[in-house]
Amino acid sequence: MNLQIEATGDVTVVEPVGRLDFDAAPGFQEALERAMGGAGKPPGAVIVDGARLEYVSSAGLRAFLLTARAAQRSGIAFSLCALQPAVREVFELSGFSRIIPVHADRASALAQAQQGRT
Amino acid sequence: MDHPSVSSRARAARSGLTVPLPVTRVRRLTELVSAKTRGFAVFLVGSRGPYARAFENFILALVIFSIASIGVESIPGLPAWATQTLHVAEIVTVAIFTFEYLLRIVAAPNKFAFIFSYQGVVDLLAIAPFYLLGFDARWLRALRLLRLLRVLKLQTHFLETVVEERTRELAEKNAALEKAQAQLKAELEVARALQLAILPSAFPKRSGCEAAARMIPATTMGGDFYDYIELPDGEIGLVIADVSGHGVPAAFFMAVARTNLHELAAHHLDPGECLAQTNDALCAQNPLDLFVTVFYCVLDPKSGVLRYANGGHNPPYIRRAAGPVETLRGAGGLVLGAMSGGRYPTHTVQLLSGDRLVLFTDGVTEAFNSADELYGAQRLADEVHVHGGGTPAALVERICQSVTNFAGTAPQSDDITLTVLTWGTS
Repeated sequence: MNLQIEATGDVTVVEPVGRLDFDAAPGFQEALERAMGGAGKPPGAVIVDGARLEYVSSAGLRAFLLTARAAQRSGIAFSLCALQPAVREVFELSGFSRIIPVHADRASALAQAQQGRT
Repeated sequence: MDHPSVSSRARAARSGLTVPLPVTRVRRLTELVSAKTRGFAVFLVGSRGPYARAFENFILALVIFSIASIGVESIPGLPAWATQTLHVAEIVTVAIFTFEYLLRIVAAPNKFAFIFSYQGVVDLLAIAPFYLLGFDARWLRALRLLRLLRVLKLQTHFLETVVEERTRELAEKNAALEKAQAQLKAELEVARALQLAILPSAFPKRSGCEAAARMIPATTMGGDFYDYIELPDGEIGLVIADVSGHGVPAAFFMAVARTNLHELAAHHLDPGECLAQTNDALCAQNPLDLFVTVFYCVLDPKSGVLRYANGGHNPPYIRRAAGPVETLRGAGGLVLGAMSGGRYPTHTVQLLSGDRLVLFTDGVTEAFNSADELYGAQRLADEVHVHGGGTPAALVERICQSVTNFAGTAPQSDDITLTVLTWGTS
C-alpha cells in the first residue's frame, strides 16, 4: 500500500492508499511511528485521513490500536477522518471508534486538533 | 584377454541381450573392458573406491620422488651406479604411472571425456617422454624436459582433493539445512493438529438442536476459532472468534482466549459478564498486543431464548424458518485483549421453531477475488436466505463452496470460519 505523510505546523496527517491487510500492516505501523516523531520531537497531533483507504483487516486494526496507545503515552492527539463507509463499519463493529476519535472530514479533524492545543 | 568385440557380442547374444554394432574404436575399447576389470579399476581410482585415498597418496609420493630424481639426475659427474639406479627407478615409476593412467581410463564412465580432460592430458604428458625417448634419437633428448611436466600432476592431485572436500562440505551443509527445514515443518504440522484438536468435534446432544461448523485456516495455523460449551441447567454456550493476524502468534493467542472463555463461561452465565471477565484476563497476559473479536451466546434449548454479547465481532445472522434473514445488531463492546475494564451489554432474542443461527468470521465476508472485489455481507445473506432451509452441515458446505467459487484463483488472505445452529426441528 502507498502512503502520504504531510506535516503542517504541529499536525501530521497520514493518508494511506489502498488495502491495509496483514502484509501491509507492519509498513503502515512503521509510517505511523515516523509520523509521531520517531526518536525526534513529537507533533501535537497525528491524523489518519481515510479518504483513499479501501479496506482494513484485523491486522490493520492492530496497527491503529498500537498507535493509539503510543500516542497516549507521548501525549499526542490521535484521530481518524474521512473514513469510507466499509472501513467506518469495521471501526464501529470492532469498538475501535470508541477509543479513537473519528471525524467526518479532514477540516473538522484539523479544527479539533487546533482546538485541543489551545 | 579375449578378442575384443567378438567375444563380448557373443556373450551378449547368449544372454539374450542385443548390443548395437560397435561403430567406433572407442566403443570397441569399451567392450574390451570386462565388468570385472572395471570393478577393479573403480576399486582403486574411483572417487568412492575403498582404496582410492591410499592409492592417491601412493601416487602422490611417487610423483614427488620422480620429480626429485629428475633433479638429482641432472647433477653432473654422478657415479655410474647412481645413474643406473635412477634409470631403473624411472622405468618402475613410469610403469606405475602408465598402469594408473590406464586404470583411470577404465574407471571413467566417459572415456573420451577423461582422455581429453585436463587430468587426462597431464597424466599422458607425464609418461609420454619416456616412451618417445625409447627411440633414443638425439633430437628427442629435448623432450626429456617434458618430464618436468610431472609437476602438473601434483597440481591436479591437490585441486581434486580441494574440490572433493568443498563438495562434501556443501553436501553436509545442505543436508543439515534440509533436516532443519523438515523438522520445522513437522513441528508446525504437529502444532496445526493440536490447534484443530482444540476445536470441538461434535455438538452437545440436545433434542431439537443441531449444529455444524468449519474452520479453514489461511496459513498453516489460524487465529479463528469456534466453541460449544455445555453449561449448568442444560444450556449451551456458542462461541465464534477471530484473533488479529494469523500464523503462530495468532494461534497461541487463540488457544489462550479459547481456554479463558471456556473456563469462565461456567462461572458467569451472563454472556456480557463472561466477555468482560475474559477481556480482563486476556489483557493481563498479552505481550504481543494481539486482540480477538468474540461473539458469545447462550441458548436455552428448552425455550429457544438466546442471550448474546458481542466483543467487536461481525454480527451473526438469524434465518427465520420462513426465510427472512435478520442481523443480530445489539450494541457490542471493544474487541477483547485491547483494553481492560470494558463493558459488554447482554441482549436477548427469541428463536422460533426452525430458525437458524449463522455465526461467521470476516474471512467469509472479506474474501477477495482476483478482480479485488469483496465477497461481502450481501452475498452471504443471500446464500443464507436461499439455501438455509436444509441441515446446518449442508449450509456450512454451501457457503464454503460459494466463497471458494467466488475467490477463484485469488489466494485466501484470512481464516474462514462458520458455525450454523438450528433450533426447534426434530
